[in-house]
Amino acid sequence: MAIAEEKNFISLINEHQGLIHKVCIMYENDADVRNDLFQEIVLQLWKSFSSFRGESKISTWMYRIALNTAISGYRKQTRLLKTEDLREMHLNISDAGGDDYDENFQKLQWAIRQLSEIERAMIMMALEEIPYEEIAETIGITQNNVRVRMNRIREKLKKLMCP
Amino acid sequence: MELEDLKSIWKSSEPVFQPKNEQEIAMMLKGRSISIINKLKRNVWFELVFTIVVSVALLIYALSLPRGAMKWTSISLLLMCLASTIYYVKKLSVLNRVQGINENLHDTIAFLITNLTGYLKFYKNSYTVLYPIYFFLGLLFSVMERGTDNFVEFLSNPSTIIYLLFMAGVFFFISSWFARWFLKKLYGDHLEKLKSILNELNQQ
Repeated sequence: MAIAEEKNFISLINEHQGLIHKVCIMYENDADVRNDLFQEIVLQLWKSFSSFRGESKISTWMYRIALNTAISGYRKQTRLLKTEDLREMHLNISDAGGDDYDENFQKLQWAIRQLSEIERAMIMMALEEIPYEEIAETIGITQNNVRVRMNRIREKLKKLMCP
Repeated sequence: MELEDLKSIWKSSEPVFQPKNEQEIAMMLKGRSISIINKLKRNVWFELVFTIVVSVALLIYALSLPRGAMKWTSISLLLMCLASTIYYVKKLSVLNRVQGINENLHDTIAFLITNLTGYLKFYKNSYTVLYPIYFFLGLLFSVMERGTDNFVEFLSNPSTIIYLLFMAGVFFFISSWFARWFLKKLYGDHLEKLKSILNELNQQ
């Protein structure tokens, strides 16, 4: 029984690992620290797996645990990127040739990383089509508050991406 | 730029990452958690075991003494250790109730802030009580070693009083500074970060 549950869990993580990687990329700069965070998120998901009853979508549940771990449950200090590094990163993205979609995607990633940790969590879930009701439940604020904040976040991203 | 435009950009590509295979994921489940709750639990367990060992040693030592100041000093230290043990057991029961991070972000952060604040407050209060006790124990040992008459004579010298006050000040300053630095390094920065996130969440 326990083995079957572990197997199910592993295949679930394997299938949805992109979501965890996205959270790690948005919250950690250093590759080693990102790996540690990935493992910590997997461990926390595993601890909560038995209590997951499918009342919400699997992605909502995963986001809840992953964001909780990345924002509040994890203490490792990382090297913070200096403003110069960020500016340079932005310029590199802007200068890079290639696909417009890819360039826009990288710009968006960069812009999201300039937001506060809470704003990052909210926009990531919104971009993944998670309804405002579930975002409100995950963050612990009202739906109305989510709407107001999402408007502010959108404005911020707009300014960052098209200065 | 509307949210729908951002969504279409977001779905147009994937961030670059090294995918994990099932074996790697299985290995991760056997790893040790580095969450703040687990770190707190490990620290509390370590301190609980250390306190119990010290308590047993103090009890054996106190029982071996016939009577006198040293016996009462050992017993008072033992009582302090027992009070700490009760606190640690209570703390562990609270921490053990946290199974994973299932609550919403706001509640999880509020819970962590309450626990970390209580933990740090306990340490600060313990140090505040312990420093004067250690200092007076030091004086007590000195009395026992020199004898009361010699000690009173020794203490009647103004330079001795100045020296003792100076040493008390230095001892208090260094140990308070160390405790503050250590606690801040251990959890203080994380606590500040959590407080600022909760503050952001509470704003409309």
